[in-house]
Amino acid sequence: MSQNQAEILQRALKREKAARKAAEKILEEKSRELYLTSQKLEQLLDEKSSQLEGVFENIVDAYVVMDIQGDFIKFNEAATKLFGYDISRDEVNVVDLVYKEDYVYAVSSFMELQTKGYFKNYEARVYTKSKEVKWVHINASMIFDKDKKPVAAQGIVRDITHQKASEEKLIESENRLASLVVNLDSGIVLEDENRNIVLTNNKFCELFNINAKPKDLVGLDCKAASEQNKVLFKNPDAFLERMRAIDTEKKVVLGDELEMVDGKILERNYTPIKIGEKSKGYLWTFTDVTLKRTYRKSLEAQKQKYYNIIANMNLGMMELDNNDQILMVNHSFEKMSGYTEAEVIGKNARALFASEEDSEILKVERQKRKEGASSSYEFKAICKKGKTRHWLVSGAPNYNIDGEIIGSIGIHLDVTETKNLELQKEKLLEKLEKSNDELQEYAHIVSHDLKSPLRSIHALVSWLKEDNQGKLDAVSLQNFGLIETTLEKMEQLITDVLNYSSVGADTSSKTEVDLNSLVNELVSILYIPDHIEIKSLHVLPNIHGDRTKLQQVFQNLISNSVKFIDKKCGSIIIDVEDLKSHYKFSIKDNGIGIEKKYHDKIFKIFHSLKKSKDSSGIGLSIVKKIINLHEGEIWLDSEPNVGTTFYFTLKK
Amino acid sequence: MVKKLKILLIEDDMIEVMKLNRTISTLKLDHKIIEANNGEEALEILEQKDNLPDIILLDLNMPKINGIEFLSILKSDDVLKYIPTIILTTSNNQKDLLECYKIGVAGYVLKPLKYEDYVSKIEKLLAYWSINELIVV
Repeated sequence: MSQNQAEILQRALKREKAARKAAEKILEEKSRELYLTSQKLEQLLDEKSSQLEGVFENIVDAYVVMDIQGDFIKFNEAATKLFGYDISRDEVNVVDLVYKEDYVYAVSSFMELQTKGYFKNYEARVYTKSKEVKWVHINASMIFDKDKKPVAAQGIVRDITHQKASEEKLIESENRLASLVVNLDSGIVLEDENRNIVLTNNKFCELFNINAKPKDLVGLDCKAASEQNKVLFKNPDAFLERMRAIDTEKKVVLGDELEMVDGKILERNYTPIKIGEKSKGYLWTFTDVTLKRTYRKSLEAQKQKYYNIIANMNLGMMELDNNDQILMVNHSFEKMSGYTEAEVIGKNARALFASEEDSEILKVERQKRKEGASSSYEFKAICKKGKTRHWLVSGAPNYNIDGEIIGSIGIHLDVTETKNLELQKEKLLEKLEKSNDELQEYAHIVSHDLKSPLRSIHALVSWLKEDNQGKLDAVSLQNFGLIETTLEKMEQLITDVLNYSSVGADTSSKTEVDLNSLVNELVSILYIPDHIEIKSLHVLPNIHGDRTKLQQVFQNLISNSVKFIDKKCGSIIIDVEDLKSHYKFSIKDNGIGIEKKYHDKIFKIFHSLKKSKDSSGIGLSIVKKIINLHEGEIWLDSEPNVGTTFYFTLKK
Repeated sequence: MVKKLKILLIEDDMIEVMKLNRTISTLKLDHKIIEANNGEEALEILEQKDNLPDIILLDLNMPKINGIEFLSILKSDDVLKYIPTIILTTSNNQKDLLECYKIGVAGYVLKPLKYEDYVSKIEKLLAYWSINELIVV
């Protein structure tokens, strides 16, 4: 081996050594680098896995892992707490946890897990160990090995029982609110920024005659709809214009009134709804106020009507407060009193109108009003020019809404004329009574004065006869007899006239009169010739009347019949018929009869048809007068030569 | 025992006076008639307290003081009120009748139309009073 060779070899070795050293150094560096890197990686991995572990172990939600059979192999602390099982001791299968009603849902979700490898947002109920039911939310996924074979499933379970409960409550109250809105008596439209309908209700559809369900309207454009609906309003353009103006302003508008073509009146309110600064839409409400408006209108019409009645009635009206201060008078009262309303308002009514003598009356009436009593009274009022008038007042207390007496209202009628007439009548009556009395007296005096000479003549004739006994011839004696008969007739006439004039004046009291016994008595007292028979067909009733006068009626009529019977066998038939308020009597004879033309005449005084000694022509006049006094009538049926029936009625 | 009566007749009608006188004489009665044509005259007569009548026959319808006024005066006199007073009148007015009895009369006789009836009534009247005991003042 040469030096050179050796040197070469040595040098090569040296180079080799150096290269190896360098390579070693690089390697060393690299391996150190690698070590550092793996060291870092390990650290990172540790970090990550502990991080992950911490996530699973420490997450608030439950984390579970189960094998393919559904047996749980891992529960984190939250899961243990949630389900109540201690996985290290209890064997728990997923089936144990599924709430029976949610079973189908659970199975389908499990299928999803197997096919898709995961499921999300599973919400169902589960049983805990203590058979408590809980709502849970689960996201789950499959775990695969390196050969992509599923080995387990993991899931994150969140207890949403409380959330669910409050959600339910929320839904419930939302439903309640919704049904409230749907059935609200006002029409409601909630629209969004773009004027699309968010919510509306039945009443709205009803008010605008929309033949659709409220929910079908959601999403509709209000603007377009209102253009369509404008025809429903009396003034369509104004409706639109106003709506646009409101929409532009976007401020609360309350109490707009809309008149619809069909007569409805709607009240419209507009409210922007804001939560914080954020607009949540705009709420329109429509309320049918037709009734309210028409009610108010008719109320006003009524008020106007009564106001007109009060203003125009021909009765004076005055309203007073509790201190007799005048609050109001109507036009008629102004006319009656002579004062204008302005002159009397605030004045004391009593001080102003009461005459001195009648002030007390008003005081008493005032007291009655305070006690809540109404009454009518008359008083002498002093009018503006000092004239005295008689007023008839109907006064009533005036109440406020709370039922407290706040004064009185009086309706006044001027009865001065009537009052004067009344006074006049009273005077006349008094006068009449007096002159009746005087007439009565007069009749008595006249009859006395007329009878006295008759008596004297009679006495003188008697004395002539006595003093000339035996000296007078038969004719003279007969003439003296005629004088005496004439005197008797004259006296009878005077007596009858006096009786006739007494019938009306004599106010002897009426009593219950038994006509049956009265007539029987009469028949036994009166002179009835043997050939005349008197019959009563029915028992005569009792009558409220004047016994003496009623007797006179029957006496005169029966005597008349007796007097005028010309037949061999006379018959007088007395009968009675019960009418409603009266009795109708009849006295029928078979006498000479009376010609029709005299039927009215015979009841007139001094109309005797047959001049005779015992008929003065006053009898039937007296009968008629007495019957009239008993509120009855008298008339007759008669046929000459056949007979006469007198009918008369007497009040029961 | 039939008493002889002193009768005061107060009557304005001459013939009525004649009728009473004639009746008494026809009946042959021994009564004494004192005549007064009116109330005033009668009161004058009644002044003589020692010559008062036993009975008074009084007509109601008289001028000046009428019968009822006269009766009232009479009845208010302490002495004269004891003299029986019989009304002799034409008036059958119930008012007069009541008034007279109220003031106090001893009888009320209506004058009849017929003279014979008059005689008969007077006869009875006087017969009655002539058997009565009367107060002598």
